[in-house]
Amino acid sequence: MADLDALPQQWPTDDFTRIPYRLFRDEAVYRREQQRLFAGPHWNYLCIEAELPAPGDFLVSYVGERQVVVQRTEDGEITAFLNSCAHRGAQLVRCLRGNATSHTCAYHQWCFGTHGELIGVPQQRGVKGAGGMPKDFDKQSHGLRMLRVESYKGLIFATFSEEAPSIYDYLGPSIRPEIDRIFDRPVKVLGYYRQLVPANWKLYLENVKDPYHAGLLHLFHVTFGIYRPTMSGRVTMDSTKGHSILRTADIGEENAEVTSVYAGIDKYREDYRLNDPSLFDVAPDYDDRVTNMIMTIFPNLMLGQVANTFQTRHVRPKGLREFELYWTYLGFEGEDAEATEGKLRQSNFIGPAGYISLEDGEAGRLVQIGVDRRDPEDCSIVQMGGRGPIEDQDTLATEVALRGFWKHYAEAMDMPAAGIAT
Amino acid sequence: MSVAAIPADRRLAVEALLDDYVQALDGDRLEDWPELFLEDGLYKVVSRENVALGLPAPLVYYYSRGMMRDRVTAIRDALTFEPLYIRHLVSGPRISGGDGAWNARSNFAIFQTSEEGRTRRYAVGEYCDRIVDTRQGLRFAERIVTLDSFAVYNLIAVPL
Repeated sequence: MADLDALPQQWPTDDFTRIPYRLFRDEAVYRREQQRLFAGPHWNYLCIEAELPAPGDFLVSYVGERQVVVQRTEDGEITAFLNSCAHRGAQLVRCLRGNATSHTCAYHQWCFGTHGELIGVPQQRGVKGAGGMPKDFDKQSHGLRMLRVESYKGLIFATFSEEAPSIYDYLGPSIRPEIDRIFDRPVKVLGYYRQLVPANWKLYLENVKDPYHAGLLHLFHVTFGIYRPTMSGRVTMDSTKGHSILRTADIGEENAEVTSVYAGIDKYREDYRLNDPSLFDVAPDYDDRVTNMIMTIFPNLMLGQVANTFQTRHVRPKGLREFELYWTYLGFEGEDAEATEGKLRQSNFIGPAGYISLEDGEAGRLVQIGVDRRDPEDCSIVQMGGRGPIEDQDTLATEVALRGFWKHYAEAMDMPAAGIAT
Repeated sequence: MSVAAIPADRRLAVEALLDDYVQALDGDRLEDWPELFLEDGLYKVVSRENVALGLPAPLVYYYSRGMMRDRVTAIRDALTFEPLYIRHLVSGPRISGGDGAWNARSNFAIFQTSEEGRTRRYAVGEYCDRIVDTRQGLRFAERIVTLDSFAVYNLIAVPL
C-alpha cells in the first residue's frame, strides 16, 4: 500500500477541480475502495422490496465486488448475508433468485436459517462412534456473515459496518423528498438490463452527475426535447456532497434560444423529425413537468427518471476496469395496460440499447482508454460551474456534483486534500 | 405442418430473406434493414433473463418500419459508439407454416471486430420470426431476438 500513501498529496487543488487519473487505473486504489467504501460506514443498495414479496423469497446482489444474498424471512423481515458458507467458504446459494427458508451448502450439507444461524452439521457426532466435530463445537458461533439491512420507501440497503448512521439519516433531508416523489405509489419490476462497461465504476458516477455532457453527447434527446441545457435545471446535494440530484423540467423554452446554444455544433439538427414519434406520445406519470431526474446515492446507486421510465441502476464493480450496470426497470402496481405499454415503448430510451444510455457506456469506454495512456500525475479538469465552495446550483452548465462526489470520496477513502474542511 | 411439406422454392425464399437481413447488417447497408419488414412490422430484442422471469421489458421495441428508419438515422447521424465490423453466424432455420405465412427459428452468434482487427464474441441468441408473403416479396411481420448474452458488452447500437 506504499504507493497509496502518496495519494493525499496528489489532489492538486483542495476544491476538487482536478481529479488524478490514477484513481481510475491504480489497483491499490481499487483494493482500498473495497475496504473503505464497500466495507466501510456507507449504505449499499441491494434491491427493492417488491422483488421479495413473500416469506422465503431471496435474490443475489452485490456489495462492491462481494456477492450477498438478501432475503425475506418467515417473519417478513429483510436479512442479508455474504454468500459464502461458514464451514469451508464455498458459495452457499447457487441461483440468483428463489424461495427457501433455509440454505444448504452443496459441499458438506451444512444448513443455515434465514438469520444466518447454523442449523445442521451432518455427522457432527461422527459415524459409528468415530470422527465428528469436537465436543465443544458450538453451532451458535458459526453462523453466516450477516450485514446490517435497512430500507427506505422500498429501497433496500445493506452495510458491513456498525458505524453507519440509519439509512434515513444517511440519505438526509435533501435527498429523501425526491425518493418520496418517485415512490409515492407501490412499484413493480418490468424487467432487468445488464450492461458490462469496460471502464472503472467511478466513471459512471461521474457521468450521471454531469449535466454538462447530457446536452452535448446525447443529441437524440436534445433534438426531441427530453433534455436541453436551456431547460429549467437544478443540481442539489446532501450535506456530505456525496449524494446528488439533477433535475430538469420542461418550461416550454423558445426554440430560437436552443438553436443559439448549439450554434457551431453540427450534430444538432433543428430539422430532425421522427418517422414514428409515437414513443413520445405517452401520458406523463407526474404533473410536475420533470422530464429528467438523476439521483445518485453514495457510493454506487443511481435512481433515475427519463420521461416515463423509472429505474434503479446499480453500479457493480467487476475489477479496476470493468463494471456491470444492473438496471431494474420499474412500473407502478395497479397502473393500466396503456401506462405499462407506454413504459415498454419508452424502454427504447434506456438500457444498453437505449437511445440515450447506450452513449454513456461509450463515454466510459472512451475515458478509460484515454486515461490509461496518460502520465500518472495527470488530472482531469472539473470546473464547469466554478471553483471554490461546493454548493447547489440552478444551472445545467455545471460539473459541481462531480466535485461533491470526489470530496466525499476523498474523506471516505481517507485521502483528503490539504485544507479541505470536513 | 411438417417441414417436408413446405415447397422447396418457398423454403428457399424464406432462407433468402433471412440472408438478406444478415447481408444488410454485416455489409453496413443499414438502410436496407427496415425495408425487410412490413410497414407495421415488429422488431423486438428481449433478454433471456427477463423471458425466464416472465417480465415484459424489452431491450429494443420497434413496432413500425418508421421506428426502424429512425434508428438507422440516429445510427448514421446522432449516436456515438465504437466503429466496428460485425459478422453474423446463423444456423439453418427451422421453418413451419405455409399459405403465405411462415414461422422460422434460427440461432445466431454475432462477432465484432475493431478497426485494428481484434475480434470478440458479442452476442448469442435466437431469432424467432413471423414471415409473410407480400406483392414485393417476403417480409418480416415480426422478428423477436432473444438474447442469451444479456449481460451486454457495453452497448447495442446497430440492430442484432
